[in-house]
This record gives sequence, structure tokens and C-alpha cells, in this order.
Amino acid sequence: MSAARRWLLNRYVVVFGTIAAVIFSWNVYVATHDDGRIAGMVVGPDGRPVPGATVTLRERTLTTLEPRATVRTGERGEFLLTGQRVHHFVLEAQKEGVGASPRTAFRLYFRGQNFTLPVPLRLGG
Amino acid sequence: MGRYPTWPVHAGLIAVSALMLTPFYWVVRTSVTGDNIFAYPPALLPRHVHLFYFVDVWYYIPFVRFLVNSVVVSLIAVVANVVFNAMGGYALTLPFRGKRAVVLALLAFMMIPFQATIIPAYLITKELGLLNTHLGLALPLCSTIVGIFVFKAAFDAVPRSLIDAGRLDGLGDGQILRLIMLPLSTSAVATNVILSFIWSWNSFLWPLIIVRNQEMQTLPLGLSTFLSYLENTTGALYAFCIMVLIPGVLIFVLAQRQFIDGLTSGATKA
Repeated sequence: MSAARRWLLNRYVVVFGTIAAVIFSWNVYVATHDDGRIAGMVVGPDGRPVPGATVTLRERTLTTLEPRATVRTGERGEFLLTGQRVHHFVLEAQKEGVGASPRTAFRLYFRGQNFTLPVPLRLGG
Repeated sequence: MGRYPTWPVHAGLIAVSALMLTPFYWVVRTSVTGDNIFAYPPALLPRHVHLFYFVDVWYYIPFVRFLVNSVVVSLIAVVANVVFNAMGGYALTLPFRGKRAVVLALLAFMMIPFQATIIPAYLITKELGLLNTHLGLALPLCSTIVGIFVFKAAFDAVPRSLIDAGRLDGLGDGQILRLIMLPLSTSAVATNVILSFIWSWNSFLWPLIIVRNQEMQTLPLGLSTFLSYLENTTGALYAFCIMVLIPGVLIFVLAQRQFIDGLTSGATKA
């Protein structure tokens, strides 16, 4: 075995090299997916999209829930929040005359991770 | 040899190992589930595994700052231990008047707990102007008597003929130490590296006393700060413990053979 090959297969080089490669890959992934886009839908008690509902995002800190952003849903009940540097947050939707959704907590793997709600926020739930 | 089956011994060792690893398993399990450790009945297998508690630790506290402080302090301690302990160990292999008294004194000093010397250590560090600095954090761990004796045992095992040959070639004591002793004592070096790294990495009391602001806190101090923030941090707290433990465990696992060799070198000499 050549000296260079032996050096490359040294367990210290392999372990720390692998760790460095994982960290680098993770940072590349984060850099390309951290626009802070949070998208979702709001539906009524009957499951139909609700336009004009207000969606509020609150960031969960160590001690409190801090309001960060508010947005109104579009024609098809969809909403999009951008530039949200949060990793642990709560979403709540409400509309006059229809009701409010329960506060739902979400967790992300890094701040600003692009995220689409897996299920819509249901008003009057 | 070979008359008795070995499986009962292995079974016993596996059982004891499992017993000793149970607390570690519980820490890992809680860090990825957040389950309350006091839940009854306790669930052995984790459910709803996720890594979000590690993310919480990363963002809720200045983890990177604590990590950098711990790494810098540990590096200073490791380098200083290898250099100073090697010099001390080499000195103890040379003949000089009062050597036996010095060895006995060092052995006796090992019995003095650090807590007993912490006030003089603090005053010395203060006089040197090193309070709240990385060097000040590493200062009491820059040389340890155990490390000196590890080097002494390793250097005693080096054939005198090699040292005499070096002297004939005109080498001084520093060169003999650097060019002959240390290359032939890699196990002792590894032992010093691991011991000094783990001691400085886990050090809590000394940083607690000399650190004045959060910017200089190390990981164990950060852990106690984290504990004081919030009650309901079960999962995040254990995730923090794992993140603090990983570097020490990694270093030990990678160099465990040299570590064991270094601790046992000289043990079988007459």
C-alpha cells in the first residue's frame, strides 16, 4: 500500500473527513433551501378553502410565543409567508364569522427552511 | 485453556456491559423522543423518534460559541500537557540529587483535591491577568502529575543505549526528548492527549469560578445555564448532553488502543 493511500485510509482521516463532508453537504443543502417560505391552506369546517382568512405565525422561543408575521389567504384558501427565520413556530388561522383554527406547532430542521404544511389549517375545528 | 466453554463468561460480560450502557442508552433515547424519564411504565424502545431537540439546542443557546470555547481551551490544555508533562517525565528519568524526594512529593501532591487549591489557583490566575480568558481556563490543567508519570514510565522503557548513542552524536536533552523519547512513546502521548482532553472538556468548577460573561462559557457551563432557563427541557437537555459527550467519546474510541497501551506501559516491568 502506498504512503498516500495508507494516509488516506487512516481512521482519523476517514472519521474526521467523513464528518467534514457531512457538515459541508448539510450546509450546501441549508444554503439552497433557506428562503423561509412557509406555504399552506386554510379550509372551513366543511373542508372547503377559505379565502380572506388571517393566518398568524408565532415563533416559539425558550419562554414565550412571539408574533412574527400575518398574512391573508388567497382565492383558493392558500397562503405563503416568506423570509421567516424560524425553526419552531405556531400557526393559527381565523376569519370573522367562520371561526379560528387550533394553534398548531411545527418544527423545522433549520431556521428559514422552506416548508409546506402537510395538512390545511381547519377553521372552527 | 480450552477445558471450559467461554460462552458463560461472554454472556456475563455482555450482561454487565448492557447494564453499564443502560444510562447512556436512556440519555440517547430521551434526546430523540423527549419522553419523560420518570414515565411509568417505562418504554424500552423509542417511539416517534426525531432530531428536533438537537435543533432547539443549536438555536436556543449560543452553542457554537460554547463549542469554540471548549475546543480552544482543550487544545491549549492538550498541547501544554504533552509539552510540559514530557519535559517533567524526562527530567524524572535523569539522575539528580533529591530525585526520590521529588517523586514522593509528586505522588503525595496527587492526593490534594483541586477544590483545596482552587483559591490560590484563582489568585495566581488573577495576578497573571488571565481571568475570563481561554488561557486562564486552561491554566490549572496545563500539566498534570498523572501525565508526568505516564511519560516517565514510557521513557524508562526506552533503551539507555539509544540515549547514549544520541549523546555521542552530540544531542542535547531537548533533542533527545524530541527526536528519541517522544517518537518511541506514542502510547504515552496518546494517553496524555486523551486524559487532558477529557479533563479539560468536562471541567466545570474552574470555568464556573473564573468566567465572567456568557461569551467565555464552555459547554459544561452552558449546560448548567441551559438548565436554569426552563423547566420543560427534558429532550433538549439530553440532546445537549449528547452534543457535549460526542467529541470526548469520539477521541477516546479513535485512540483507545494507544490509550490503554499508555496506561499499562511499564506496568509489567520488574
